[in-house]
Amino acid sequence: MSESAGVIHDIGYRHYDGPRLGSGYATRALFAYSLRGIFGLGRPARSKVIPIFLALVMLLPAVVSIAILAMVKQRTMEYTQLAVFMQPVLAIFLASQSPTVVAPDLRYKVLPLYLSRPVTVVQYVVAKLAAMTLALFLLIGVPLTLMYVGELLVDLPGPPETMQYVAAMVSGLLLSVLLAALGLLLASLTPRRGLGVASVIAVYLLTSAVAVALYGAFESLGRMTAASWAVLVNPVSLVDAVRVWLFGGGTAGMTYPDGPGPALIALALIVVLVGGLALRYRKAAAR
Amino acid sequence: MHILATEGLTKSFPGVTALDRLTVSAGPGVTGLVGANGAGKSTLIKMLLGLLPPTAGTAQVLDLDVATRGADIRRLVGYMPEHDCLPPDVSATELVIHFAQMSGLPRAAARERAADTLRHVGLYEERYRPIGGYSTGMKQRVKLAQALVQDPRLVFLDEPTNGLDPQGRDDMLALIRRIGTEFGISVVVTSHLLGELERICDHVIVIDAGRLLRSSAITDFTQATQVLTVEVDEGTEALAARLAEAGEHVTPQGRVLLVRVRGPQTYDTIRDAAADLELCLIRLEQGRHRIEDVFREEVAGV
Repeated sequence: MSESAGVIHDIGYRHYDGPRLGSGYATRALFAYSLRGIFGLGRPARSKVIPIFLALVMLLPAVVSIAILAMVKQRTMEYTQLAVFMQPVLAIFLASQSPTVVAPDLRYKVLPLYLSRPVTVVQYVVAKLAAMTLALFLLIGVPLTLMYVGELLVDLPGPPETMQYVAAMVSGLLLSVLLAALGLLLASLTPRRGLGVASVIAVYLLTSAVAVALYGAFESLGRMTAASWAVLVNPVSLVDAVRVWLFGGGTAGMTYPDGPGPALIALALIVVLVGGLALRYRKAAAR
Repeated sequence: MHILATEGLTKSFPGVTALDRLTVSAGPGVTGLVGANGAGKSTLIKMLLGLLPPTAGTAQVLDLDVATRGADIRRLVGYMPEHDCLPPDVSATELVIHFAQMSGLPRAAARERAADTLRHVGLYEERYRPIGGYSTGMKQRVKLAQALVQDPRLVFLDEPTNGLDPQGRDDMLALIRRIGTEFGISVVVTSHLLGELERICDHVIVIDAGRLLRSSAITDFTQATQVLTVEVDEGTEALAARLAEAGEHVTPQGRVLLVRVRGPQTYDTIRDAAADLELCLIRLEQGRHRIEDVFREEVAGV
């Protein structure tokens, strides 16, 4: 007698006696889950549209510059200028995707499900911050790497601009950390998704507008030192100034203050933002 | 072994004492935690999970101290909160796999456990759709699944029947009973409906305004009283007369007779009387104290 096909046997409850890994593993799992969420993987199709579109837009300058490189054998854009030129795209990505990382857990009260497990609230924040940082760094780093590989393949006369590529990658990472901390803090303070998007984009527009306005005002007064500091109100320029201090290189017409000043400001800003995030979550966890 | 034990456990918030010197313990099985809204049930669960530090007193869960071994406790227990706690844009499968991993299960094991658990709680094809489109009953099942997926030793279920229709309520209660018996996972379940807990619990803890009212086995609450309910098709008066003749204490109550039990012979007397009178005996059952009555007496007595 043969078993008829398609019969589901209820084999009853089975206990799990396999390995139970620690909170470090759980933190990494949360990091991977959040990173997938940022790009809409494992979510409905409409969650994928914006992040994937913006990631493709970030690739455009790289593709164009490789094409020109191949045809005219001429460099069109410095590596270090990619993030500066494309900063509106980065800002839109930050604004639209930061809320997806932190807002649902606060708004729909998912946080208690995490906190009733071995992860601590600090590990939770670290995983979220790392996921957003890596997402931004991918947006900056993938086009840069593509351009670098293109340059190596095209084989221009003279050595490749390796140092510039490294400088662009390092400053790209710093920018990613800074923007991620800023975006997550703002999004965690405004758990409604639309508000989160609006607040992040508003802060970006405000800082870049204030930077331009102050720069113009100081420049017309002839106070170039003050003007060069005023530019740093824009976080992208702040990180670019740090890059100039560390690696030198072109500034695309901007003047930045000399010395480690911008680096100290950037560092202090990251500490303040991450501290704010920690405070926000200490409060959320106590509820 | 105790699954939980507290000693003088106190939690004070500014202006309010949520738990007041609570000393209680419970063994394996299904333990009901009963109290009105604001009695301190949710606060107690949060403290037992090691998420809220006690103001005074101590507590152990699975023989681990909540103050020092919170992380170890959270590795061994599951928690289903009272409130909504599900993001709308992920599927039940995705969510439950994620929370299995958050409890330390490797990815492959997490997938397998998630599929098993979702089947046990009764979610089938719909588990691949985003949770936002689920009914309340399905959401409650997902909440339960995420608490069970890591195969905990103990689960805390905070108001699991909240918002369910009568059928969903029955299903949920049956499932909780299965978790406690068939699955072999100890359960602490809160409710403000005593009738529900009566059906599924081995042990009931009653708290009110942060203080312990009573903690005892369910059989103590609902112990058989010494009264039998007898119902016959017709001829109730004749039966009452015959029983009174035989020396039994009979009180008619509507269509039924209440007969005080003097000993095993009372059952025989009723049987023989019904047979002699050729009556149709429909019902012969032990009257039970309902847990509500006990609760009402205890609250009134405080």
